[in-house]
Amino acid sequence: MPSNKPDYYSVLGVFRDASQEEIKRAYFDAAQRLHPDKNVAPGETELFLETQKAYEILSNPKRRSLYDATLPPEIEVNSYIRHEVYFSRPNLVKLDEPQLIYMLLEVAPRIEKEELPTPPLNICLVLDRSTSMQGDKLDMVKATAIQLLRNLRTEDVLSVVAFSDNAEVIVPATLNLDMKKQEGRIQMIQSSGATEIFNGLQMGLKEIHRTLDPSRVNHIILLTDGQTYGDEIACLQLAEEAAAQNIGITGMGIGNDWNDIFLDALAGKTGGSSSYISKPKDIQRLLVDKFNALISTYADEVLLEFKEQENIKLNYVFRLQPEGGSIQPESPIRLGPILRDTPLQVLFEFVVNPAASKAEAVTILNGSLKISIAARPIPVPPIRLILNREIRIHPSTEPPPARVLSALSRLTLYRMQDRARAASERGEFNDAVRHLKNLATHLLSQGEHSLAKTALFEADNLERIHAWSASGAKDVKYKTRALLLENKKEKAG
Amino acid sequence: MITCSTCKHSNLDGAMFCAECGAQLIGKEDLITQNISTKQFGEINKEIPSRDIVQAFEGSDAWGSLHLLDTGQMLPLSARNEFTMGRISEGQPIMPDIDFSPYQAYAAGVSRLHGVIKREGTRITFMDLGSANGSYINGKRLASNVEQVLSHGDIVALGKLKMQILIKHA
Repeated sequence: MPSNKPDYYSVLGVFRDASQEEIKRAYFDAAQRLHPDKNVAPGETELFLETQKAYEILSNPKRRSLYDATLPPEIEVNSYIRHEVYFSRPNLVKLDEPQLIYMLLEVAPRIEKEELPTPPLNICLVLDRSTSMQGDKLDMVKATAIQLLRNLRTEDVLSVVAFSDNAEVIVPATLNLDMKKQEGRIQMIQSSGATEIFNGLQMGLKEIHRTLDPSRVNHIILLTDGQTYGDEIACLQLAEEAAAQNIGITGMGIGNDWNDIFLDALAGKTGGSSSYISKPKDIQRLLVDKFNALISTYADEVLLEFKEQENIKLNYVFRLQPEGGSIQPESPIRLGPILRDTPLQVLFEFVVNPAASKAEAVTILNGSLKISIAARPIPVPPIRLILNREIRIHPSTEPPPARVLSALSRLTLYRMQDRARAASERGEFNDAVRHLKNLATHLLSQGEHSLAKTALFEADNLERIHAWSASGAKDVKYKTRALLLENKKEKAG
Repeated sequence: MITCSTCKHSNLDGAMFCAECGAQLIGKEDLITQNISTKQFGEINKEIPSRDIVQAFEGSDAWGSLHLLDTGQMLPLSARNEFTMGRISEGQPIMPDIDFSPYQAYAAGVSRLHGVIKREGTRITFMDLGSANGSYINGKRLASNVEQVLSHGDIVALGKLKMQILIKHA
């Protein structure tokens, strides 16, 4: 195991050759987060003092060079994280037109699984109790919440917030709860009112803050079955604030009436994605799965920062695992968590403009990965990611790496679904129908008969009535997404 | 530009799958699951059964298996080296070893004694026993009472009842 005392560069999360400007910015960022007036978690004041000390030394060139002399040589290998990069082709080609290159990034813990610490949880369940939840849905949610509460480890915190047009704390975030009493309170949740997610989310964040601790996995699970009206932007802002404090958000939508694009965006702000619960009886399984995933968290966030390169456009980013979902391709990118048994896998699509192919080599990506490891509040050194490709006259004859190919092959299905959805939203139903039919063909050839049928059924709907069936768009989207992950698991196993 | 051979869509250089129809553009020999059929209707492609089916089969002690394409049913072949195939109906003197009547055999035109699948060492053969509607291997009609060697993944049709033959490698 590496020594626990990080050097000052690690404390600030910068590289050893960082410029004064970078050091200053890193310090300001850290100070804003950790200042004793603002910080919330135990140990952060100490961390703040540490960053102050680091800044005092490193901001002064003279002191910095004296300090540098005392440092052991920089270890190139990051002792916590292993990362690998695979390209779809070994080199680019001199061309007068734009070209594509794909990159698969895999980030995994370096340490053996058994040696990894298991971080305690700090989770808030934010439950929709609007009128539409009445019946099976709410009963199942309550039963599952109670089950989760009973199965908590002693070091875990689980709070519960229920919301409709207003929000209420049902189970506060504390250790050592009186279980009997809390179970009773969960049982008492009654459905009424409309869905206003912002209220619930805000209250949930407040509960998370009570026991916020960087060494815990801090996470909000939002369960809803409806659209929220007018507060989407406020919700997204809240999610951004949460992300800045390493609080993750998962959105789970029950039934047909919720807005999957909004929930995906909300969870996406924190590096997560939404899941779809088609039937109330699946609530329990999906929630328990989510809990298990959270328990096995190794790093709660991997942040990719990069400088935009001239003539290179990052076109599309998709997280293949642990949780499939497309990601906004703008720096900084929250790539998502790393689980102990499921490394993070992200696929990038770059468009290289002809102007870039004039040179002999081109830098596709110039950035760094910053990783916050749960159960370890002190920052780990960032990983530099500078990726160059040579430019040749002739294309390479080498076949693309199998894992890139298979990742893309599965992603192709998801993107076709995406295109169909986008086309239908633009009102171009003929295009949407064609995409869905193409999707169905591929699904059939892969033996996914029932999903192929669903896709054809929806193609038919779009053709006839220019609308998806009630559950159609979500069925197709989440099932093709699930396909992506299932195959992944089989491959690993 | 790469022009997709399936739908003629122009894709950017370096693309690996067609942005329009999803067909694979390069490295085809590595991955056959993404091919889509451009053959005429009526011809049969080799299909790859889903992985869990193959895994279940691989784990069993059967030497081969019939994968019914319409219903997804798996019928393992084990214990003996020869199976007659057909459909049981009333008053029939000779019964087939494998009865397809639960799988709409009558509607699909399966004869009561349609064919036989045999194993001799590592060689697996199929023979049509003079059925009314004939047998097909990968879409090709077979002559009656002539043995045909089967290989893993072949699609045998008894009349219209299609099944894929899975053979375990010795």
